[in-house]
Amino acid sequence: MQSMQATLGTPTSSALSRFSTSTQDKSSTAGQTSSTGPQPSRPSIIPPPSKSKGWGTGASGGRMRRIIAEDPEWSLAIVPLLTELCIQHIVGNFQNNPILKQLLPEHKQKVLDHLSPDLPLAVTANLIDDESYWRRCCTQRWPVCHVAKHGGSWKRMFFERHLENLLRHFIPSTTDPALILELLPLCRNYVRRLRVDQFLPPMKLPPRPRSGELSESGSEAEVEEPATDHYQLGDLVAGLSHLEELDLVYGVKDCGMNFEWNLFLFTYRDCHSLAATIKACHTLKIFRLTRSKVDDDKARVLIRSLLDHPALEELDLSHNLVGDRGARAAAKLLSHSRLRVLNLANNQVRALGAQSLAHALAHNTNLISLNLRLNCIEDEGGQALAHALQTNRCLTTLHLGGNELSEPTATLLSQVLAVNTTLTSINLSCNHIGLDGGKQLLEGMSDNRTLLEFDLRLSDVAQESEYLIGQALCANREAARQRAPNPSCFLSPITAKGPENPAG
Amino acid sequence: MGMQAGAATLENSTEVPQKTKNRTTLRPSNCTTRHLSTGYREALGEYLDGKKESEEDQSKSYKQKEESRLKLAKLLLCGTELVTNIQVAADIREIHRRVEEGEIRRQRLEKLENEVKTSQDKFDEITMKWEEGKRKRIPQDLWDMLNTQQVHCAGLIEDKNKLISELQQELKTKDDQYVKDLKKQSDDICLLLERMEEQVKNVMKTFRQELNSIEKAFEAERRELLTSNKKKWERALQAHNAKELEYLLSRIKKVEDYEKQLNKQRVWDCEEYNTIKIKLEQDVQILEQQLQQMKATYQLNQEKLEYNFQVLKKRDEESVVIKSQQKRKISRLHDILNNLRSKYTRQIRQFEEENQSLTSDYIRLVTQFKELQKAMRHFALLDDKRFREIWLMNEEEAKDLISKAFDVDRIIHTQHLGLPWTAPDFWFLRNVGPISQQQQRSATQILEEVLIQTEEEGMEEATSETESYLDLPKQVSMKTTRKILMLLCDESGFLIESKLLNLLRPLEKSECYLLKLDAIFSALGIESEDDLYKLVNFFLKYRVHHSPSSQERTSPMSALDPGEQTDLERQKEGSLVGGEPEEKEVPPSPTLIHPNDVLKILEAFVMGLRKPRDPPAPVKVVKYVRDTSKDSAYWEALATVLPYATQNLWDALYTALEKYHLVLTQRAKLLIENNSLEKQNTELQMLLQQYLDSKVGDGDEEGGQEAVAGSGTGADVRK
Repeated sequence: MQSMQATLGTPTSSALSRFSTSTQDKSSTAGQTSSTGPQPSRPSIIPPPSKSKGWGTGASGGRMRRIIAEDPEWSLAIVPLLTELCIQHIVGNFQNNPILKQLLPEHKQKVLDHLSPDLPLAVTANLIDDESYWRRCCTQRWPVCHVAKHGGSWKRMFFERHLENLLRHFIPSTTDPALILELLPLCRNYVRRLRVDQFLPPMKLPPRPRSGELSESGSEAEVEEPATDHYQLGDLVAGLSHLEELDLVYGVKDCGMNFEWNLFLFTYRDCHSLAATIKACHTLKIFRLTRSKVDDDKARVLIRSLLDHPALEELDLSHNLVGDRGARAAAKLLSHSRLRVLNLANNQVRALGAQSLAHALAHNTNLISLNLRLNCIEDEGGQALAHALQTNRCLTTLHLGGNELSEPTATLLSQVLAVNTTLTSINLSCNHIGLDGGKQLLEGMSDNRTLLEFDLRLSDVAQESEYLIGQALCANREAARQRAPNPSCFLSPITAKGPENPAG
Repeated sequence: MGMQAGAATLENSTEVPQKTKNRTTLRPSNCTTRHLSTGYREALGEYLDGKKESEEDQSKSYKQKEESRLKLAKLLLCGTELVTNIQVAADIREIHRRVEEGEIRRQRLEKLENEVKTSQDKFDEITMKWEEGKRKRIPQDLWDMLNTQQVHCAGLIEDKNKLISELQQELKTKDDQYVKDLKKQSDDICLLLERMEEQVKNVMKTFRQELNSIEKAFEAERRELLTSNKKKWERALQAHNAKELEYLLSRIKKVEDYEKQLNKQRVWDCEEYNTIKIKLEQDVQILEQQLQQMKATYQLNQEKLEYNFQVLKKRDEESVVIKSQQKRKISRLHDILNNLRSKYTRQIRQFEEENQSLTSDYIRLVTQFKELQKAMRHFALLDDKRFREIWLMNEEEAKDLISKAFDVDRIIHTQHLGLPWTAPDFWFLRNVGPISQQQQRSATQILEEVLIQTEEEGMEEATSETESYLDLPKQVSMKTTRKILMLLCDESGFLIESKLLNLLRPLEKSECYLLKLDAIFSALGIESEDDLYKLVNFFLKYRVHHSPSSQERTSPMSALDPGEQTDLERQKEGSLVGGEPEEKEVPPSPTLIHPNDVLKILEAFVMGLRKPRDPPAPVKVVKYVRDTSKDSAYWEALATVLPYATQNLWDALYTALEKYHLVLTQRAKLLIENNSLEKQNTELQMLLQQYLDSKVGDGDEEGGQEAVAGSGTGADVRK
């Protein structure tokens, strides 16, 4: 956040400069470490050998021994053991001669404790499994490390973030793709998630004259300009045998006032190559493509490639331009895969798309969460969804915030609330539910015992009914907590609980 | 956060008033949440109070924990709400923006369309006027028209330019708005961060507070527990101390006691020690003496043993010699044994061979023997037949002779002696065929007889009973037998086949009985007459045996042993043959034999009957041997059918008759002489006649005289 704030003011092309500086930093630090690597351990080691030598010679002749014995500093405690010396030597020459597997466990641990985190990955990647070593690597490189986000494994975190970093700063036709592919054999067994929040477009020396055209009609330029394609993930993803999560944003971060439309171009070639990539990746469980201007056609290309995917569980296409046709394709995907989470927030889905989704949802048994925030499904789509929920027995989370819904949907939803026993969370914020709709929802809530969250903020509902709904939810939560052995609701993020919503 | 930021970047424009309104709407929400949270807490407190009563036994810390949990949950809820409020506000702003944007776009499009229409109209007008202008001939008009056209065109262009400038203005404002939006977003994000930090701080603080309060509660509880435990501990310690003191005192006392006792004991022990010492010293002396003695004896024994050892050595040597001898002997015996074994095996083999040959011989002999037997049987039959034929032939011959003799005798008696003759009647005269022992009659025949006879008896009582005994040589009367048999027939119907019973139904009663009994006897294995009698006797014995009451009545010897009794009974039965009165003393048997006992009796009888019948074959062979003892007598009798007296008579008669015959033959001779003489006479007479005839007279006289002489002699002989 702070970096974003800082870059907001700067008018220069920050992305490129940042990239160059970061690479410089890296190289400089690498050089530093290579030169200083063995030094910090040396100074402590050097004095003992001279003494040990003296001791060795002293053993042969009595005269010498007397001389050594008079040395006031000499004592047995200072003399390091031979194993210590060996370990130090191994640590010092680890880059050229990595010896680890043959050592005894205790010695192994010592070696690992003393290894420098700047050793080349080609040496360490497949040799060292010790978490503490990778922890040192990570903490040295990044100030903030959330290891829990990487499955609790420091090694995985290191490789994932390393790879992400490379991808973020990859400039097509400028950076050597071998740079990434070299890393592939080292990290293929450890990377499970790829979260890339920016893809840089190819650098254009004269961007000025074209920028106006592009900003006016981005899609046309995109078609006729293959030079704006981003990095093709195909080879990389095909090499990662354990990849489970792919989180991509085809766009540039922190552009600030340098905003240009062509920074956010997700071209058809990108789309097709990405589709082929995710189709070939059978281990993929979570696929996110957000903020990338994915329109109906691209969404359909992507979703078609995901039909009957063996492992896919979550699809996130939020903050795109997906319309009704894309929503219909997603509805088809619902019935042709084992999708559990579908996120279409902030798209352009309208009533027709919502109806097709509702049709698919009516008999679906996999989907747990559906997010349609900031779309425009209106009452028609809302009613269709409510009808679908009367037969659905699987969905637990439904987000319909900001969808221009009003009273008719609320009446139908209140009927659903009385019947449905699987829904635990509904979000209807930023709609025009109205006073009567709020009352009907309150009636529906009075028969429901499973709903834990119900967000009605800024939806023109009377404060009283919202308060009463909150009370009912509270009771439901308490019941759920007593049912569950672990008080999970204690820490769960609960959003909807607000009589505080202003009436005005 | 990232998502929110992204959402924020997508917003290009927002309205300031909207935002301020949102701020204002969201700010008080904080207050309301706080207010509400306190209210909720109060409500919660009540709830907890209510819970307190119900869970009096729950510890204070638990209550504190529960309270804190609810409080913190509430806090988290409010906090997250506070934070997400920004997102919601941004959402609604975005929605409003979108609506307005749509509206503006629509208006703009409308405007543009209107503009296009009006400008098109104007353009059409201008083009029309060009056409008009072509037709104009007057330059003045043309100039005017051109001027007006120019004005129109300028107006049109001006309109367009205005529109363009308007749009550019809008674009500019949009650009401004974008900058504003960016600023506002950064503000929003700042606010969000602030709130989050605040929230984090708040949460941290409250968590810490709650933690502190929980810790305090725990500590208080711990302190209470500690104090109570300490009190308990002190109390226990005091008690322990008191007890310890008590123990100490008692221990001191005990120690003193023990010391006294120890002293006493020590003195006593000393004394005892001394006495024992003296005694032991004495013992030692004695033992030393004994030791000396033992040593002496030991030496003696040693010598003895040495001697013995020598002897034994010698013996050992001897025994070694003997042993070797024995060994040799054993080897020799082994050899012998082996020889014998081989011999034995050889013999066994030999004997086996012999045995085999003998068995084969035996088998052959047996077959031969069987054949021989068959032949013998055949020959015996043939012999029998031949014997019979010869016998018959001889007998016939003899009978012929006898009849001849009898004829002769009769003739002699009637004609010669003039006595009446009666034909002698002998058994053997009636006999035809060889004499054989009377054939054993089968049981059925006897049965038949018995039944028929008893029936006859029933019809005519007068017939003497002694006759009926003729056929039953044993001691039982006809009646009892019959009754027993009837009983048997009635009781043991199960032995008869059902088919037979069906067949028997139409028959008469007696025949029915007969056939039934026949079937029963065949089933029981009773074949001969003897068996039948045995059966009957068995019945009677049984009855006697098993009816002591009747016994007591008949004889006072009930005290005797059963064996003797049976003997006596047997004797009695033996005597029973004699007469009827005795039999009548015994009550009629069948009545006494209970029908239920019949089966038991039968079983016992059959068991008994089996035993003696086991070897039946040799008996049969013996049966065929003829008894020739009577034959000679028979033949002799046949030979001496005429008694010696008659023979003598016949001899005398013979001699007399011979004499008579002699006389008669003489007479016959004489007669023949006479006849011849007569013939001569006649011839002579004839000759004489002839001679007379020829010589008349001489010859006749002489022939006549001779004839007369002949006849006269004959007559004399006769007289």
